[in-house]
Amino acid sequence: MAKSPPESSNGSGQNCIKLSIPSRLEYLGVLDQLVQAIAEQMDFDADARDAIANSVIEAATNAVQHGHQHQSDLPVSFWFEMKGDLLDIWVHDSGPGFDLDEVTAADPTGPEGLLRSRGRGIFIMRAMMDEVEFDIRQGEGVTVHMCKQVTPPSDPGA
Amino acid sequence: MKIKQEAIGDVYVLRLSGQLMGGPDADAVRETILSALNQGYKNLLVDLKDVSWVNSTGLGILISSHITVSNNGGFLKLMRVSRRIDSIFMVTRLNTVFQVFDSEPDALASFQGDSASSPKAES
Repeated sequence: MAKSPPESSNGSGQNCIKLSIPSRLEYLGVLDQLVQAIAEQMDFDADARDAIANSVIEAATNAVQHGHQHQSDLPVSFWFEMKGDLLDIWVHDSGPGFDLDEVTAADPTGPEGLLRSRGRGIFIMRAMMDEVEFDIRQGEGVTVHMCKQVTPPSDPGA
Repeated sequence: MKIKQEAIGDVYVLRLSGQLMGGPDADAVRETILSALNQGYKNLLVDLKDVSWVNSTGLGILISSHITVSNNGGFLKLMRVSRRIDSIFMVTRLNTVFQVFDSEPDALASFQGDSASSPKAES
């Protein structure tokens, strides 16, 4: 089960920024600027800032294109929770959901997938973030939770 | 996203700016490439210097363009790719699909060794 966004849990959300955008690709530029600013404030390095922004844009692209089928009156919601050196992000759409296993079955970097024009979004998110989870519920939509830490966690055995 | 286009010798250069992310961008790039092919150009060069980011749909546009040009016996190459976009190419292994050049002179010169021959732009 994916972790819930701050407002639906017991957390106060005091270090949380919430954003809602219409389901239009034109707003992804605004989203990119916000994500970059949040990541910079948390002292992520340039590569990590880009990785986070790329991942949020992929999640948002999926929400707009597949979840909401470009219906601009349907909002895509984002939560950015900053806890020390950990950034938790949730992206929610109210679409019908999808079969995660089916969507991620093909390897987009393999010989058969390399020249396919689709099917890389989740792969990119998983490659660029520390964790990516999906909460897909019939009638309630899709929530993607992902997180990234400023510095890699230390070896628990150390 | 905006597209500026120019022919430099037998190379047709598309200079993209903004963000490459699908929607109308796909049609704009496809129509520009088909127009270049219809004019007889086989060597196409896409300048990404002013593209701030690309999403997976934008990658699909580049891949479709690559396939279209290849199927017409031509070459599609990229130049001046930002560190951010390059990181996506590396993760998705599209760096093994596209020839990418850091500079315009190097990119233009690279077509000299290719077998595709395009007509000079008509005056």
